[in-house]
Amino acid sequence: MNLNLKSGKARTFDAIVVGSGMTGGMAAKELTEKGLQVLMIERGREVKHIEDYDTAMKGPWEFAHRGKVPVHSAEEYWANNRFGTLANEETGPFFTNDRDNPYIEKRPFDWIRAYHTGGKSMHWGRQSYRMNKQDFEANAKEGIAIDWPIRYEDLEPWYTHVEKFAGISGQAEGWEVLPDGHFLPAMPMSAPELYFRETMMKKLNRPVTIGRIANLTKPQPWHTDLGRASCQYRSKCARGCPYGGYYSSLSGAIPAARKTNRLTVLHDTIASEIIYDEKTKRAKGIRVIHQHTMAVEEFFAKIIFLNAGSMNTAALLLNSKSNRFPTGLGNDSDQVGRNIMDHHLGVGANATVEGFENDYIFGQRPNALYIPRFRNWGNDKKNFLRGYGYQGGASKSDWKRGITMNGFGANFKEEMSRPGTWTMGFGGFGEILPDPSNRMFLDAEKKDKWGIPMIVFDAAFGENELTMRKDMMASAVEMLEAAGFKNVTGFNRQDTHPGLGIHDMGTARMGKDPKSSVLNKFNQVHACKNVFVTDGAAMVSSGCVNPSITYMAMTARAAHHAVEELKKQNL
Amino acid sequence: MNRRNALTHVAALLGGAFSAPTLLAMKRWEDHIPGESSPPGFTLTENQKLLVAEIAEMIIPRTSTPGAKDVGVPAFIVMMLQDCYKTPEHKSFLEGLSRLEKIQFLHLDAAQKTDALKQVEIDAAEEMKVYQVQQTKMGDNEDREQMAIQVKGLPYWRLMKELTMLGYFTSEEGLKSSFEYVPVPGKLEMIKMKPHQKAFAY
Repeated sequence: MNLNLKSGKARTFDAIVVGSGMTGGMAAKELTEKGLQVLMIERGREVKHIEDYDTAMKGPWEFAHRGKVPVHSAEEYWANNRFGTLANEETGPFFTNDRDNPYIEKRPFDWIRAYHTGGKSMHWGRQSYRMNKQDFEANAKEGIAIDWPIRYEDLEPWYTHVEKFAGISGQAEGWEVLPDGHFLPAMPMSAPELYFRETMMKKLNRPVTIGRIANLTKPQPWHTDLGRASCQYRSKCARGCPYGGYYSSLSGAIPAARKTNRLTVLHDTIASEIIYDEKTKRAKGIRVIHQHTMAVEEFFAKIIFLNAGSMNTAALLLNSKSNRFPTGLGNDSDQVGRNIMDHHLGVGANATVEGFENDYIFGQRPNALYIPRFRNWGNDKKNFLRGYGYQGGASKSDWKRGITMNGFGANFKEEMSRPGTWTMGFGGFGEILPDPSNRMFLDAEKKDKWGIPMIVFDAAFGENELTMRKDMMASAVEMLEAAGFKNVTGFNRQDTHPGLGIHDMGTARMGKDPKSSVLNKFNQVHACKNVFVTDGAAMVSSGCVNPSITYMAMTARAAHHAVEELKKQNL
Repeated sequence: MNRRNALTHVAALLGGAFSAPTLLAMKRWEDHIPGESSPPGFTLTENQKLLVAEIAEMIIPRTSTPGAKDVGVPAFIVMMLQDCYKTPEHKSFLEGLSRLEKIQFLHLDAAQKTDALKQVEIDAAEEMKVYQVQQTKMGDNEDREQMAIQVKGLPYWRLMKELTMLGYFTSEEGLKSSFEYVPVPGKLEMIKMKPHQKAFAY
C-alpha cells in the first residue's frame, strides 16, 4: 500500500477500526457506507479474497499428510491442536502459530486465533442464530452478574439488517426460543433426519430444525453485486470459498466497504495503545507497531471501533494507560478482562441408524441440524441455570468405517467403495455464566516480541457448566435412544477448556452502571464515548447460540449510533 | 457471478499469482513437511519395508483397479509414521512387524498369510479394548475421532490398516477408481441409491 503516511493529515481519518474479522469488517462496511473515511488496522498478513485461497481447490491427494497433523506442526500450533485438529494442511494458513504468538495460562485456555484479513470469519462455523428475548433478561431475573442494558427489541432490526447482508439460509419455525430471522431457502434434511425431527416432536416434544447458516442457497442481487455466488456444496468452507458461497468479512463486508472508496486497510500492523487526550477527554487515535519493521506510528480519528476479538480488544484497553485511566482505558469498573465466557462443548452422543439403506445424499451439506434449548425453558426446571443447544445430524458412513471393521482383501476393498450405513450424533453448545474471577490480564513483566505485555488467562468452567454437561450427555443419549437408534454412546470430554468454543466473549461488558460495566448501551466506553467496542467483549451473558450474528448486529447498531452522534457533534 | 464464471475465475486463479505474504505463509507451513522434527530412530529395514508393502497390498490388493502398491501406499505409511506419530506408535508398529518377522511371514504361502493376518486382526481387537476411542461431533457434521492420551501406542494392526486405507483412498488413483469424485457438486440433493451405487468423494 503506497500511502503517504508522513503528514498528519494522511494519518487522520474519520474512524479507525481495529481488526478486520467478523465485527471489524461489519464496522468498516457500515461506517464507510455512511460516508466516513475509515482506516482498518489488521495485525496479521493480508489475505486476498479468492486469489489467496491456496488450498481451496486441491484434491485430497494434494495434501502431503492427508489431513493429519505432523508432530512438528502440532507443536507449533499447540493451542489449535490441543483438542482436535483445527489447523491442518487444508486450513493451517488461516490459523495463528501459537509458538510465535505465545500467551500465558494460569489456568488452561484454548485460545484460537486468526491473524490475517478476515480473522476468524475465514473459518467460522457459520451457524447464525438470534438470541431470544429471555437471553437478554435472564441475568436480571436470576440475579446473575449485571443486567443487559438492551433488550431483544433493540437489536431486532439490526439482526435483520446483517442477516440480509450476510445471507442466512434457514427455516422459519415461529419458536420463541429461537427467533426467526431473514432467511434464504433452507437446506434439506436427509431421510433419517426427517424421521428424527418427527419422532422428537412426537415423543419428547423437542423441536429440531435445519441449521441456520451463512451459506448462500439463493444469492440475492446485493450478494452477486459483491461477486458472491451460490454455495457449491463442497463443504470445504474453512479453506476459503472461491465462490464466496459463505459469508466472511473477506467475501462480504470488506468488498462492500471497498466499493465506497473510503476504506484504507493496513496489514501487519499491531494496535498497541489507544491514545487518550486528557484535555478533550476523548481518544484521539491509535499507536501501532508495524509487525515486521517494528516501526511505531500514530493514526488519528474522531471515533475508534475496537474489533480485535474479545481477548485482544480487552488487552488493548488494558495496555492503554493514561493519567485518567491508570489501569487501562475504560477500566474504572475493574471489569476489563473479566467475565470471560464462551460456549462449552465436546459433549453429546452418537448412534448408528438402521434402515434408510436406499437413501443417500448428493453433495456435501456444509450444515447440520439444530436442536434449540429446551432446558429451563417453559415448564422445564433443572438443577442448573440456563441451557444448551445441540448441533449434529446424520451422515452416511464412508470408507473410514473400514478402519475399525474386521476385514481386508479384494471384497473388503470393493465394499469400501460403497456407501455404508447411516450414523447420527449431536454435540452440545452450553451457556457459560459470567464470573468475574474468570479473567485475562496483562503480565506485569513478560512482553511479546513487540514489547507489548503478554496476556495471562485465568479462567475455568464453573459448577453450573459442569452440572449442565452431565445433562447434555444424558439428554443426547435419551434422544437418540428415543429415536430407536442403535449403539448409542454418550461422550463428555474432560480435556476441553474455555476458549475452545471459539466464542470467547465478555471482557468489556455493556451495562447501565459505569461502576460495574465498561460500555453503555450503544457499546461506547462509559468514560470515553468515542471508543466503541462491538466484538464479543461487549457481551453481558453468553446465551447458548453461536454469537457472531449477534456481534454483527450490535456492530451495525453501534455504527449507526456513532454516525448519528457525529452528526449531532456529540463526538 | 454465476457458477460457470466462478469456475472459470477459479481456474484462472489457480494458474495465477498468489500474494507474497500468502506464499510466505504457505511456505512456512509446507516447510514443516516432511518431518523436519521427526523423532530420531524411526526407520525400517529393507525386510520390514517389504513386509509393510506386502501387507498393504493384502489389505488393498490390485483388482480391476490399482492396489496399495500401485499408488505408493508403502512409502506413504513410512512417511506418516515418521511425521505424524511419536515414540509409542513407533514402538508398537515395530513390535507388530517383529512378530510377523518371527513367523517368517514373507515366506508363508498365500493362504497361510491370510490366516496369519486374520489372527493379527483378532489380537488387535483385544488390544484396542484398552483404548477409549470416541467419536465426537464438533458442531457440524464432522466426526472427529478422539482418544485420551495413551501411554501405549496404538496397536500395529490399527496403524497399518488406517494408514493403508488413508493412503489408498485419498490417493488420486485410488480415490478416482473407487469412488465417484465430485469436487464441485454445485447442488445438494437427497437421492435414492442406484444399483451398484459408488460412494461420492469430494
